[in-house]
Parts: sequence; structure tokens; C-alpha cells
Amino acid sequence: MMQHFPVLAVMVLFLGAFLVEIFGSKSRLTRNIIALAAASLSFVFIAALVKPVMIDGQIISYWMGNWTPVEGYAIGIGYEIDQLNLFFALLVVLTFLLSGIYSIRYMEKDRHLGHYYTLYLMLSGGVLGLVLTGDMFNMFVMVEIMTFAAVALTAFRNNGRGALEAAFKYLVIGSIGSSMTLTGIALLYMQCHTLSMAQISAMLAKGLSPTGIMALALIFIGFGVKSFIVPFHAPAADAYAAAPTSISMIFSGMVNKAGVYGMIRIVYTVFQAMDLEPMSLLLVFLGTITMFIGVTMALAQHDFKRLLAFHSISQIGYVITAVGLGTALGITGGLFHAMNHTLFKGLLFLCAGAVLYRTGTTDLDKLGGLSKKMPKTAICFLVGAFSISGLPPFNGFASKWMVYQATYSKAVETGNFAYALVTVIAVVVSVMTLASFIKVTQAVFFGQLPESCENVTEVPLSMRIPMWIMSALCIFGGVCYGFVNKYLLAPATEAAINVSRYIDVMMGDGYAASYGVVDMTVAPAGFSYWDPLVWLVLFIVVLLAFCIVIVTGRNTRGEVLEAKPELVDPKYDTFFSGEESMHSHVGGSDLFWGFRTDWKGYFDFMQGMHSGIVNDYAIWAVTATGCAALFMFLFIH
Amino acid sequence: MFKKLIADSTAKSPWIYHINTGSCNGCDIELVAVLTPRYDAERFGFKLAGTPRHADIVVVSGPITTQSKERLIRTLAQVPEPKCVVSLGSCPRSCNVFKGSYSVEGPLENFVHVDVSVAGCTPKPEAVIEGLYKATEILKQKREAMKK
Amino acid sequence: MTILKDLFYILVFPGALFAAVIGLLLAGIDRKVLARMQKRVGPPLRQPFYDFFKLMGKETIIPHAANKAAYLAAPVMSVASLMLMMLFIPIFGFSAFSGRADLIVLLYLITIPGVALIIGGSASGSPYAGIGISREMVTMMAYELPFIIVLLAVARKVGGSELCFSMQGIADWQAANGCALFHWALIPAAIAMLLVIPAEVGTQPFDVAEAETEICEGPLIEYSGAPLGLFKLATAIKMFVMTALFTALFLGGIRTGFVALDAVILVAICAVLTVLCMTLIHAVTARLKIEHLFKFYWTIVTGLALISLILVWLGL
Repeated sequence: MMQHFPVLAVMVLFLGAFLVEIFGSKSRLTRNIIALAAASLSFVFIAALVKPVMIDGQIISYWMGNWTPVEGYAIGIGYEIDQLNLFFALLVVLTFLLSGIYSIRYMEKDRHLGHYYTLYLMLSGGVLGLVLTGDMFNMFVMVEIMTFAAVALTAFRNNGRGALEAAFKYLVIGSIGSSMTLTGIALLYMQCHTLSMAQISAMLAKGLSPTGIMALALIFIGFGVKSFIVPFHAPAADAYAAAPTSISMIFSGMVNKAGVYGMIRIVYTVFQAMDLEPMSLLLVFLGTITMFIGVTMALAQHDFKRLLAFHSISQIGYVITAVGLGTALGITGGLFHAMNHTLFKGLLFLCAGAVLYRTGTTDLDKLGGLSKKMPKTAICFLVGAFSISGLPPFNGFASKWMVYQATYSKAVETGNFAYALVTVIAVVVSVMTLASFIKVTQAVFFGQLPESCENVTEVPLSMRIPMWIMSALCIFGGVCYGFVNKYLLAPATEAAINVSRYIDVMMGDGYAASYGVVDMTVAPAGFSYWDPLVWLVLFIVVLLAFCIVIVTGRNTRGEVLEAKPELVDPKYDTFFSGEESMHSHVGGSDLFWGFRTDWKGYFDFMQGMHSGIVNDYAIWAVTATGCAALFMFLFIH
Repeated sequence: MFKKLIADSTAKSPWIYHINTGSCNGCDIELVAVLTPRYDAERFGFKLAGTPRHADIVVVSGPITTQSKERLIRTLAQVPEPKCVVSLGSCPRSCNVFKGSYSVEGPLENFVHVDVSVAGCTPKPEAVIEGLYKATEILKQKREAMKK
Repeated sequence: MTILKDLFYILVFPGALFAAVIGLLLAGIDRKVLARMQKRVGPPLRQPFYDFFKLMGKETIIPHAANKAAYLAAPVMSVASLMLMMLFIPIFGFSAFSGRADLIVLLYLITIPGVALIIGGSASGSPYAGIGISREMVTMMAYELPFIIVLLAVARKVGGSELCFSMQGIADWQAANGCALFHWALIPAAIAMLLVIPAEVGTQPFDVAEAETEICEGPLIEYSGAPLGLFKLATAIKMFVMTALFTALFLGGIRTGFVALDAVILVAICAVLTVLCMTLIHAVTARLKIEHLFKFYWTIVTGLALISLILVWLGL
């Protein structure tokens, strides 16, 4: 029974999409019920798989139509769920379920909502199929479904500025990526005469022929385009900003991760290329420049969602760097950061959506002082901002610390100084991320309230619930991260390394050995656990001491005076050198002048490069493919 | 026990905020000169604060002009208790040579209760220090008299 | 029994009370020595204590535009995290709580007071505070880079092929091999750290974030009373924490074995370091503008730290 669950999870979403299209235009209630039911059912199916796969360690294999391999050749489409698949599948279902709950109120003012829910279910089904499948061409089909649903959803609010343009750019660059992937898969099929990932990885165990290297380069770049690493990142900024926010959350939480999952699966399992030093260098190099360019571009933005988009790009850089190290600690850190990114970036996008819903704008120069009107959103935003900046005790700190230790350990092991520089760059990027979110906090939530935002109120409950759930998970991930490691990360890391088991489950025992598949030797994880509970206990003791002193000293201290809102008393005004307090809000583009002046050359160059012309972006994509292929041919034998 | 400590500390750490309400700058220069090495008021704990919210003693110099009256009152309202107002020089006392001018509103006492008044045009640095010192004593009394 | 002992460590020595008292003492020494350098008598050494208690007695006015929760919570967070840091810094071999990843915990705990100041200033709702926090954040970006490189260099030097991030481990290594400062590869790192300390603490010439005359005290502009007192206390404790960290990283070889004597020696060394890297530079320089500050840290100070890291990497 269990092995039908993965397929059912995907099918229920596609079925839901068709049903919404047929019945949804009639009644809003039917539409919402069908969409949420489909999403919840899918969530239940995947959650039911946690115990057998993650905890008991089974791998589920399912051949469609019961077309099991014939004489050692795989002819059917296989779904294989090992711990790595399930790890990503859990992230995917959580994200789209919360997005669905959020969309109920968030999208109520838009028209054509039947189409919206259809596309949303198609997108979710595509991504879920992508992470669950064990067949290369099925993976490509799911990538295409995902891309086209994503493009259509980007253009959904086509009465707004820039939506159609953003969708067009996403379409062009996404298509280039998909074409690369298809060509690579065709090359692989030509070489191996099969499309099952398990069998292909067995056949490629002996070594890579030139065709194999070309296929690796093409498919790798194809998935790189999907996860929006540099130099394919430019459409992401436009797309995340233009799409409705519940969809932006899905983009940054699921679609990115699908690309990352594809890269991990291709490089680790199918091609077993992680042993190769050049491959590792390529991944770490791409990851590092992605991190850096993402965050420096983000510091120059003055639109809330575009800023969050650039941060998404930067955090994916962290994941790629960690995964590219090829050590167990690196993979664990990368996976942990991927999970945390889904959580805190989803939370941040939901807060941005809440602000957009109530005020109608995401321009940082026009907002301010919203923490007085939207206090709960402000708290959730602060949780997300501290998580992404990597402050304890939130989850971002734990995963970033793992990434730093992974890179520095690799530096010490291999003696290669470049990895130490990667650690330094990673920490500096983290500080710049903190700077960027301080900027957003000051520009949007603190400071002075502009007149246009006088009537803003808090967002409705169904929009707050997903935010609270994600905040709670952020805090949980940071505090109880030993628990997360034991039940989610360690199994997934094991699965990524353990290729022969992956093959044997699908094709029959002994298959992998007969082809001479050797599991990668991966450096063991030597991790100095910091104990967050000890730290928290100490912090709480100190805070308690403070509270005791504050309470007992109430009569000795000076009074705390607070203004009542109606009271007009200059005592409670902002100090303006004696002038009447006027609206003078420092936020958005006014901040970090010194930094931007010092880096003027760099920012001018970057602004010139991000010209907005899709032809430029396409040239970058094709050039990058060429360079990657050349690099691999030169250095991989 | 802490009440006495706080009251004593209030006298030993007075932070000054200076407001110029139309003065000729003579008294302002003398006030800053008091903080220089020759007279060194810092040995008594005096320090110039950048914002009225940090201030204990507000030193006002200059006759109160029409332009500055409103701003003076607003700024003084923003100083937390216990506070002490010191008028520096003879301009805030009696408007000195500017009395009767079209733009001068009147002495400081018309607008706020003055605790210490240092006379002179300009007062000698020793007089300024003595005036500030008296202000610290008044601060201590005000702190002890505060309800909490 | 151990709970009582732990509580003593957390609250009295080397935690809250010890850090506060010594921090305020160091701030007093800084002001007194500065005055003497300027041929003045200067305030008594107890002056910061008077300042702190006076501020406790002033009333706190929360302006209209301020967010009350963040405004009141920020100073408490700032002081609490600094007091917590003292628990992880060893006093020549005596360390209250030590783990295997202390340096990283310290690195993150050090950013918390800066972030608390920024959040507090931001929550005040004043435009001057907005400018102040922008400058404070750029200052933080400026000094974090060389600071990280210094920590990585020390960790590599002490640990060899397995990095040592534990403060206790660093102290033990120095007891065995002599002070880290005497290994000449780490001297540029020590100089870089000495230059990072005034920016962390926020004294001139790197105090552009709190420029009194220019932006009316920056993030602290709307603070008054007890919260302001806590922020001033945080600055004072930060002086002590940073100099104690420098001592633990570079001068940790001295060890007498008696905790009380070690503590006295630590305070003396911290006082000398305060005068050297904070008061001396304060007395002879003017305030740097923000773009010059950023450039200074990312070129000269980072360069020094990188030299050390490369030398350590090459095994010297």
C-alpha cells in the first residue's frame, strides 16, 4: 500500500487542478475547498511516508504500470523515494500547503482565480513529481510543467507593471535551461539506452566518456538555470517581484530547491562525479560568486520583493557551495540550509505579501512605521530577518555555522587556501545580509508612519496562521537542531552518498555490484556541536536576573512615561532641534550611503550588466554553458 | 539604600544641554571654555550632551527672541525630570542691551522657572562653574523630592 | 550544589556583576587617562558609576513614534548578551563554561549588542536615529571582516590540522607554547585586532555612528533614563569583553593558578590595552567619516589580518 503513496500524492494534485478548472469558475467556495483538499491530501500522503523512509530506513520503489525491469533493463517509469527525495518532498508539500492557506485571503481581490488555483496545483504537482521521480525523462517532463506553470503565474497580475515582461524573461531563460536538460538527457539515452536513473548510474560507474561529460555539463547547467544561480539569476529578480506573493513564496521555497535537488541527484547519484576535484571546484566557485553577487545587488535595491529575490539567490549560493564540497558535513550543512531557507524565506515573503495586501505598495521609499499598525506581522518579520542573518537561536545560525565549519574543515584537510577564503566570504555575506534586513526593518516597520499608511490594519487570521507556523519552525530548527539532524538530515546525507543502495532497490540486489559501482568515499563529519540549549539556559538565567532587578527596583528607579495616542504634548515628540516634528523618514534608499559610495564602481558596473534586456541574459546563459562544458572537458578525464 | 546612592550620583554626574536663544555667542564660548583644560569642569562630572533627552541641566544663553521662543519651550519639555534650568549671562536675566527690541520677547523667567541664574556679560568662568555647581545641589534636592 | 555554583558563575564572577564593575572601571580609566593626556585633571575613576546610577534615577520618556516593546527590550538584550560573553572568555585558564565551538559563539554574541543598538535606535522613530543606525551597520560590516580573519588565523595556528575553536583549548595551547603574541606570524593579526577594538566599542575616531555633535547621538537620541543607562553600561562592558578577548587570544600564556590573582592580572592587562588602543587613539585623532572608515577597515586592517592568515597557513 505504502508504495502507491508517492504517485498518489502527485496525481491528487493534477486531478485537483483539472477539477478546479471544471468546477471552480462557478463558486468560490468549491474552488477553495478543492484546492485545499488536494494540497492537504498530498501533504498527508507524503507525511505518512516519514516513518518508513526516514526513521526505519526503507527505500520505496514503484514502477508505473508494474513494468519492472526485464533482464536487467529498466523499461518502465520508476518512482524511487529514498531519504533525500523525501527530505525535499517534505519541504515542497509544506510550502505549497501554507501558500494555499495564505492565498485564500491574499488573492481575494484578483479576478480569474479559477486559473490561479489550477496553475498553483499544476506547479505544485510538477515540483513534487520532480523530487519524487526516479526516471530522467519524467524528471524533464515535470521540469517543463513546473516552468510553464511558473511563467504563467508570474504573469498572473498582468494589469500590473512589469509582470508580462518578467514572465517573458523567465520563459526565455527557463526554456534555454530546459533545452539544455533535454539535450543532455537525449545524449544519455543514446549512450545508455535507458532512462531510469538507477540503471544509468550503474552504467556510468566505470567512468565518463566524452558523451557522458557533455551530458553532465548540459544537465548540470539546465538545473543550474532552474535554481537561478549566477549567471542565470537575472530573471529571478523580476519574476519574484512580479508574481503574486503566495507564488513568490513557492518560487523561492520550492522551485529553487527543485533545481538544487536536481543538481545533487545528477552530480552525486547519476554521474557519481562528486569524487572529481574539478566538479567540486566548479560547484564551490559558482556557489561563492552567487552568494556574493546576490547579496551586494540586494543592498542596492529599494523594492521589498526584489530585495528578497536577490537574497534568495544569495542563500542558494550557500547551499550550492556547501553541497559542492563533497564532504558529509558539507552535504548536511547544505541540506539543512536548504530547509531553513525554505522556512525563513517563505516567512519573509509572506510578510512582504501582508504589507503589500494592506498598503498596496512594496516600495521601500514609501513605507515606514508599520510596526504600530501591524505588530504581529512585524514580529514574524523580525523572526525571519534574524533567521536569515544567522543570529542565534534561530535556525539560520545553526545551518550557516555548519556551512562555515564545512568549508574551513575542507580548507584545512586539502590545504587549499581558496576554501578558507570561501569561509571568509561566506561570513562577510552573512553580515551584509544582516545589513540588508536592518535596512528593510528601518524602512518598513520602524521609523515614522507616512500619511498614506494611516488606515492600515493587521492582516486577517488565515494569512497570519502560515506566518506563525513558519516562525515556530524557524525557532524550533534553531533550538532543537540535534533532533532535526538525527531524523531528517543524517538520513538524507546517507542517501546522497549511498549510491549502490539506490541502484539495488530499483533494479534488484547485486545489480550495482555487477557493474562495479563503488560508493564514494566521503570524509566523515567532524562537527563541534555548539549546544544551543546550554546557551539558551544561560541567557534565560541572565534575563531572569534582569527581570528581578527591574521589578524590585521599580520604586527606586525613575518612572517610565509613555504618550497616550490622543495626547499632544511636545514632551513625547521626536527631537527635531526644537522644531515641530514633521514627517521625515530615513529609510529605503537613504541608508548605507557610505557603503554604496565606497563601492560605486562595482555598483555602476553591476547596474550596467543587469540591463534588463533578455538578449543579454540569454547570451550569459549560453556562454556559461559553453564555459562549463569546456572546463569539464579539459579537467575531467 | 539605592535611593541615597541615586540621589548622590545625580549630583555628581550632571549632563549639560546648551540652548542658544539669540545670544551673541559670548556666553556660549565661555561655557565651552569652562570645559577646556584650563578650567576643566569635567572633573565635577559635567559633560555636554547632544540631545535634550540625555540632559540634566539645561543652560540657556541669550535673550529670548520671537523666533526661538517656541523652540525653547518645546525643547525644554523634552528634557526628562529631574531637570534644572540655568540662565547664563545677563541676557536671559534682563535682556541686557537688547531690551525693548522688536524681536526680543523678554527674560527667561517669563517662560520657565529658572533655578540658577549666572549674571555677567560675559560671566567669568569661575562664576559659571559655581553656578553649575549650585545647579547640581538643586538637582539632588529635586531628585530626593521626587515621588519615586 | 552545582546549580548554586553555576548561578554564582553566571551572576557574580565572571558573569554579570564582575563584568559590570570592571567594565565601568575601565571606562573610568579611559576618561581619566584621556583627561591627563589633555593636561586636565579629569573626572574621578568612579565617574561612570555615578553616570549609571544617575541615569537609573531619571525618568524614561517613550516618544509617540517609538515602538515600545523594541525600545525597552533592546538595551536589556544588549547587556544580557555581553554578560553572557564573559562566561565564555577564559581568565587565564579558568573558564566558567567552555565548549568546543566557543569562538563561533563569541563571534555571534558580539554582533548581538550592535544589532540591539540598531534595533533600539530604529525603534525610536527618529530620523537622526535612522542615519545613526545606517552608519552603525556600515561600521559593523567594516570591522567584521578583519575580525573573522583574525579568529580564523588564531584557530588555525592553535589547532594545527584540526582547528581549535575552543577558548579553553587556546588557553591550554598558550600555556604550553607561550603566548600567541610571541609567535611572530600572529603579530599582524594582533595589530588588526587592536584596531578592531575601538570600532567595536564605538570610541573615536570610529564613533561616527554616535557622532554627538553631528547627528545628536545617533541611535541613542530618544533614549533617556534606565534604558540609556543600560546602553552606557553595555558600552562599558564591551570595553572589558573585547580587551579580555584579546588577552585570551594573544596573551593567554600567563598563569598563576590562583583564580583571584589571575583576575587581577587580567584587569591590569585590560586597563593597559584600553589605554593603548582606545584612549591613545582617541586623544590624537579626529573622527573618521563613514566612507573613510569602511575603506580603512577593508584595506589596511583586513590586509594585516590576511597577512597573518597566509603566514599561519604556510605553517609559520
